[in-house]
Amino acid sequence: MEKKQVNAKAPTGLVLNIQHFCTHDGPGIRTNVFLKACSLRCKWCSNPESIHPKPELAYNAGKCIGEKQCGFCLKNVCPESAIYVVGSGDRADDKVRINWDLCTNCGNCVPVCPTNALYLFGQEMSVDQVLDEVEQDSAFYRESGGGMTVSGGECQLQADFLAALLAGAHQRGINTAIETASNVPWDFMAKVLPHVDTVLHDIKLTDPERHKKWCGADNTRIRANLKRAYETFPDKKFIARTPLIPGVNDDEEHIRATLAFIKPYKNVIDYELLPYHRFGEGKYGFLGRVYEMMDFTSPTPETLKRLQAIIDEAFGRSGAPR
Amino acid sequence: MQTPQKRIAVNFGGGYVPGLNAVITGVVLAASKLGWEALGIRDGFEGLLFPDRYSDGGVMTLTPAMVENLAGSTGCILGTAAQSDPFHVRTINAENMVEEVDRSDELLGVIQKKKIDAVISVVGARALSILWKLSRKGLKTVCIPKSVENDVAATMLSFGFNSALSFVAEMLERCRQAAQSARRIGVVEVLGEHAGWLALQAGMAVCADAVLIPEIPYDLRKVAAKLREKAKAGQTFGLVVVAEGAKPLAGVDARPKTSDPKMKAALSPGATGEEGLHVIERSGQVAAEAALVIQRLTDRETYPLVLGQLAKGGTPTIVDRQLGLGYGAGAVRALSNNQSGVMVVFQPPDLKFVPMNEAINKFRTVSAESEFVQIARSLGISLGD
Repeated sequence: MEKKQVNAKAPTGLVLNIQHFCTHDGPGIRTNVFLKACSLRCKWCSNPESIHPKPELAYNAGKCIGEKQCGFCLKNVCPESAIYVVGSGDRADDKVRINWDLCTNCGNCVPVCPTNALYLFGQEMSVDQVLDEVEQDSAFYRESGGGMTVSGGECQLQADFLAALLAGAHQRGINTAIETASNVPWDFMAKVLPHVDTVLHDIKLTDPERHKKWCGADNTRIRANLKRAYETFPDKKFIARTPLIPGVNDDEEHIRATLAFIKPYKNVIDYELLPYHRFGEGKYGFLGRVYEMMDFTSPTPETLKRLQAIIDEAFGRSGAPR
Repeated sequence: MQTPQKRIAVNFGGGYVPGLNAVITGVVLAASKLGWEALGIRDGFEGLLFPDRYSDGGVMTLTPAMVENLAGSTGCILGTAAQSDPFHVRTINAENMVEEVDRSDELLGVIQKKKIDAVISVVGARALSILWKLSRKGLKTVCIPKSVENDVAATMLSFGFNSALSFVAEMLERCRQAAQSARRIGVVEVLGEHAGWLALQAGMAVCADAVLIPEIPYDLRKVAAKLREKAKAGQTFGLVVVAEGAKPLAGVDARPKTSDPKMKAALSPGATGEEGLHVIERSGQVAAEAALVIQRLTDRETYPLVLGQLAKGGTPTIVDRQLGLGYGAGAVRALSNNQSGVMVVFQPPDLKFVPMNEAINKFRTVSAESEFVQIARSLGISLGD
């Protein structure tokens, strides 16, 4: 039986953002397309707006000009009465606030907000709409060997759309990459991977129980999917990646266990460490969510250097500066 | 007239505050007096949604014998549920994928199946909205306000506040002694995202030099001027109390920028705007920033200190014990009057019942004309304005 996809059967995909001139996710200068919905809940997630499988409201109080000057969103726009101000209009602070527990993400408030303080994350786009925008950067791809990287959330949850998007990119001569955690049914990967040139896949933790604790689900399916992908698509390039989170996976044990997992496969051409950063933190506020990694800091340069040396040695690059 | 036999349950949404066991005691004793059966639901509604996680099946029968000597104790024998929301329950589906599902109908079904007539729920601001949604779906419920910040609208005094106030005042006293001995300026951050009651009342109790609260945007130059003036008069130390939600006056924000916004935009879609003004990004941030600026403006060493969540722990004071017992017994009285969808509120000298939606989207904040503000000013405490 076919597994249910996010946004199944829609001729369009739920796109979060298209970001130009990216250099961290695949070869050359790339355009990143972020698709919405995720099948994990990593506590350090830097793109919380990509998790929910539907368009969702975000509110940036920094852009709100307040009840006194505006107040349109307070005039019976919200069917759930989820928008309010604290205190009366004669107070200095009359910016609106959102009761996230009452909000249903209907988006009625978005068009009335003149400053875009209220906006929706996620919009339906067709393959051609996305590719037309991506193709604007084609001169840069040619010069740098870049292309399009589709990321998320978990981009493979919209497998049909993603496969069509990647195939369309190939037709236009654009190199393709995806960034995935691979926690999806194999059917999805079987649809998507034939159209991908480079697969950037996470290995966040190797122990299933710890994976469940920090990412919401265990990694049994991820490991099975990755092994099958390495074996089924020997000509594709795979790059393993670990978001390095202090106190979670910034230890030699994890690095060596990951290397043991990927090294038997020649098509896994590299293993990258992505040092944890807090850049996603502010967005939790925009979405009314709590950032659970509040007190964590980035890994130290010493830790990075030490762990990178283990990887370099495994890939025969010892001594090469990175 | 004999009140009909009822089976009621009590639970706790949101986090811990001192006095929760006093509420349980109040509910159980008052219910027992009416001949009702009282149950306790573990960890918010999780005892009903995940009974397998609990050796007692997630629900326990509460008897007067069990609550003997319980009212003054710390902790909560039923547990609390800070992040629990029956409308968005995180689950792993058959495909090993994580998703949030609405289990509110299932929850109401379980409550009916267990023949629970009504639920008395102790809530803070967030859990109140969730309870309101359940109430709209048919749950018979009475809620009780808890808040260490005393910011729940419609009630003069939430339980938990008095205990937090006593603790914070004692800590401030110690901080001041430490500041005096080190001849430095202590900048102490206390809870208070929307309302500055805790900072203001505790700050007043120890005669702090300045108190910064969310309701009055601050200008640290004014605070520094006050500290310089005191230094001139011979005071070699200082104590500034800041509520975590305190904000600088528009245009005089001296906060250092912590990261390059362009870098943010490049690495995370959507993070291109300014930071949300109502978001407390990190506990201790306001104290750290205020301490830095005050040091620069006064040329005297400062030290930031965060009391934060410490104020939520500990045993309840006598006031909170009384309030907890009163709120518990009051909620049972509301149910015996066949009321539902109401909040028990304390409007001295009475306990009253108001529709719970009257407290949603509202916070009890410190008004500029508040007597507390006037007194603070009379005591020479700078409010940063």
